Amino acid sequence: MIWVSHMREPKADVWQGTLALMVLKTLEILGPLHGYGIARRIEQTSGDLLAVNYGTLYPALLKLEQEGFIASEWGVSENNRKAKFYKLTRAGRAQLAKEAREWERTTAIIARFFAAGEEPT
Amino acid sequence: MRALRAMLVRFAAIFDRGRLDRELAAELEGHLAMAIDDNLRAGMTAEEARRHAHIQLGGVAQVEESYRERRGLPALENLARDLRFGARMLLRNPGFTAVAVLTLGLGIGANTAIFSVVHEVLLRPLPFPDAERLVMLWEVTPDGGHQNTTSRFNFRTWREQSKSFEAMAAFSDQRSSLSGGGEPEEVSVQLATPELFRILGIAPILGRVLMSEDARPDAPRVAVLGYAFWQRRFGGDPRVIGKVITLNGSPRTVVGVLPAGFQWHISKKSGTVKPAEIWVTLTMPTEGPGVHGRFLSVVARLKRGVSYEQATAEMKAHAARLAQDVPEHSKGYSAEVIPLREQIVGNVRRALLILLGAVGFVLLIACANVANLLLSRAAAREKEIALRTALGARRMRVVRQLLTESVLLAALGSLLGLGLAWWGIRALVAISPRDLVNLQGVGLQLPVLAWTLAVSLATGILFGLVPALEATRLNLNDTLKEGTKSSGGQSARSRRLRSILVVAEVALSLVLLTSAGLLMKSFDRLQKIDTGFNTENVLTMVVRLPDAKYREDPQIVGFFREALERIRTLPGVRFAGMVNYLPLYGGLGAATGFTVEGRPVPPGEEPSTDVRVADPGYFRAMEIPLLRGRNFTDLEAREARHVVLVSESMARQHFPGENPIGKRISVAMFDQPVLTEIIGIVGDVRYDSLIDKVEPTVYFPLPELAYAFMTLVIRTTGDPAEIAPAVRRELREIDPDQPVSDVRTMNQVMADTVGRARFNTLLLGLFAGLATLLAAIGVFGVINYSVTLRTREIGLRMALGAQPGKVLMLVLKQGLLLAWMGIGIGLAGALALTRLLSSLLYEVSATDPLTFAVIALLLTGVSWLACYLPARRAARLEPLIALRYDG
Repeated sequence: MIWVSHMREPKADVWQGTLALMVLKTLEILGPLHGYGIARRIEQTSGDLLAVNYGTLYPALLKLEQEGFIASEWGVSENNRKAKFYKLTRAGRAQLAKEAREWERTTAIIARFFAAGEEPT
Repeated sequence: MRALRAMLVRFAAIFDRGRLDRELAAELEGHLAMAIDDNLRAGMTAEEARRHAHIQLGGVAQVEESYRERRGLPALENLARDLRFGARMLLRNPGFTAVAVLTLGLGIGANTAIFSVVHEVLLRPLPFPDAERLVMLWEVTPDGGHQNTTSRFNFRTWREQSKSFEAMAAFSDQRSSLSGGGEPEEVSVQLATPELFRILGIAPILGRVLMSEDARPDAPRVAVLGYAFWQRRFGGDPRVIGKVITLNGSPRTVVGVLPAGFQWHISKKSGTVKPAEIWVTLTMPTEGPGVHGRFLSVVARLKRGVSYEQATAEMKAHAARLAQDVPEHSKGYSAEVIPLREQIVGNVRRALLILLGAVGFVLLIACANVANLLLSRAAAREKEIALRTALGARRMRVVRQLLTESVLLAALGSLLGLGLAWWGIRALVAISPRDLVNLQGVGLQLPVLAWTLAVSLATGILFGLVPALEATRLNLNDTLKEGTKSSGGQSARSRRLRSILVVAEVALSLVLLTSAGLLMKSFDRLQKIDTGFNTENVLTMVVRLPDAKYREDPQIVGFFREALERIRTLPGVRFAGMVNYLPLYGGLGAATGFTVEGRPVPPGEEPSTDVRVADPGYFRAMEIPLLRGRNFTDLEAREARHVVLVSESMARQHFPGENPIGKRISVAMFDQPVLTEIIGIVGDVRYDSLIDKVEPTVYFPLPELAYAFMTLVIRTTGDPAEIAPAVRRELREIDPDQPVSDVRTMNQVMADTVGRARFNTLLLGLFAGLATLLAAIGVFGVINYSVTLRTREIGLRMALGAQPGKVLMLVLKQGLLLAWMGIGIGLAGALALTRLLSSLLYEVSATDPLTFAVIALLLTGVSWLACYLPARRAARLEPLIALRYDG
């Protein structure tokens, strides 16, 4: 699935698709979380190798919500800031499982390609 | 599914922008605050913490922008914005909008109305399963008469021997009188062989249809009722099965009811004008006097895979064999196969398509007019468009905006058009001739609405695209420069475009006017045809005596004699008479062979003649002249004295150079040959149609040939319709059970005869008038605008000494030049196109020079008028004011 979409829209979707996966995974692990928290978590997990572009993060959250994978409600953050909290829906959990499988398969294939390249021919 | 859900959410978001914007702002604010909190905790100063957070987050405006892109549906929102803007522009120019919407409404309305008729008549599938395999089988007479009825004998031969058809049914319409259980009335009855219902695929809603057992000679007499008749006569009683109705005095048991909407009426050679309401079995005796009489229409269902051509070839072969086997009846006859749709709409199709073409022209002219309006308005919007372009709008974006406006205009026009069409369809149905197939189902159905929608979109783009492209083709610098006037805002290109549009309008309306002119001339000729009688002040009505009640000839003769005697005493009646088949009533008459005493001919080669039964009063009431000899006497009107009157054609064709009076002829109307003496010659009468050639006719007095079915013909001193109640009263006094039907004045009969021609002429005339009006408005608009543009130039000319008369001519010449170009092109177009009309024209050539000349002059006159007003305005300009004019 990912491959197909990559082929159709070579640029923007790579990051978007991966970002969506990261968001879903983050919410699965940490439970309900606000946008800032999600961004921080992704940055930390990546060992600060990734910088989350907020101009991309919020549209991505919106898209996931429109598709029904996450739901949002207003709440109060740990230091008493008003914030919108996102949480995984059941459909989102299923989607995450599916995408995770596909991602693993994809990486496995890629890995095999690289392994093959190392062998002398 | 997910994509659809997202789509719906996004669509909903369009309507909740305010709240969603506030939420996003709050969310981003919270985000910023948390980032600052974290930065402070990391030991930054307040100032630093804020700055870092902002850098991290990026431009809030950009985030908001990309967020909004995802939130709603940008393409849709743009469209909505264009629509809102377009609506505002239209509201700001109510005059322009009203003229454009009215123009388009007329064009689209006319189109919708005519298309609804086209849809109903030509496009909608016939209401029978597999209708494309249904065909009519006819004979062709030796003298080339098409679609002639066949005989029982021939029908049976076809049915037994043909291989091309799954099944074949014969039928014949008859007028019958219905009595017992309520008002006596005359009804249309169809005699049919039982296969009819299977071929048409009609199942009864109650009881059964006719079956082959019903056709046995000893079978009980049964009837199947049409839905409308069942409702009217029995109030839709479900227990009607088994009840008895009395047709022509003999009882029949009702065995079934047919579904609503079922109608089976082939008007060609039908014995009735009204569609049948009752079906009874057509018996098929194998021998006897009637088996060779030709009165049957035949419908058949082709076998799958058999073509019309194959079926035609087979039928011709049958005809050839019948001509050999029974030469005395079928010599010289051929056969033909006509697809059912062709049969029903064949002769209407061309007229309808021509009308559809005509309304297409009207719509094109309307489009040209609106395009012209838009072009002249483009000048006023030059600045706005230049500004948009300068601010970065691409040309296509601006074109889209302008097209949205014109499609909006077209949509408004089609709303008005639908209203006009709704009204127009009712008017169409009201004026449609009786024989233009059934129009009851015509209406604004879905396909018609789809057509209107397509037409309005197409027109919106058609008249909007050129002006939009033209308006966006501009030089930014020139337009935006303060105070610069680019020749009144109009390029030479745009002026030329407007001229071309006007020339096209004039050309199109000339084609329409010429077509209408030709039809009018033809219609006029049609109405001036000498019918052989005087239609003014004549009332007619049909009386059919039931066979069972009037078994003996003297009873029939007695009834009609008494009826006429009573009617003649009524005040206001000048003459009263009767004939069995009225001229031009729209159905079959009787025709048969005859021989002249002393001139033997081989069997099968007798000359034929129309046969009418009349009384002496008929000729007086219709003012049919007695050319020679004498009329029937009272005695001859009372008892059979073996005398006849013949028509002028009969005398001319069969007694050339001799006096037919006193000669004796034998007309094949009797079981045994009867010689009758010719006592007089009367003028020819057009019985079948206005334009076919007149057949020789023999008139018998009633006692000679006692028809139970007569049409009373009454000449009155005043309005003939007023006397009808008194006549009915007299008839009721003789026999209270006796129905009368078809009460019409002779003028109404005539009007029905030319109904189709009048329908076509009226509509085409209407559309041509509309087209001319629109074209005149177009010419006026262009010339008027050009006077406005040239105000300063005209002022200068006048200041330099040009006389008002000269200025007037200058402008007139400009307009008339355009009109003449249009007329020239239109004449060429009309010469090419009016040929399509020729089958609708009577004694008028499709290129009738007089009509062409008159129409060209007429259109010149109209254009002159359209130019005169602006020309006069130009001539009355005050030079000093005009010179300062800032247009």
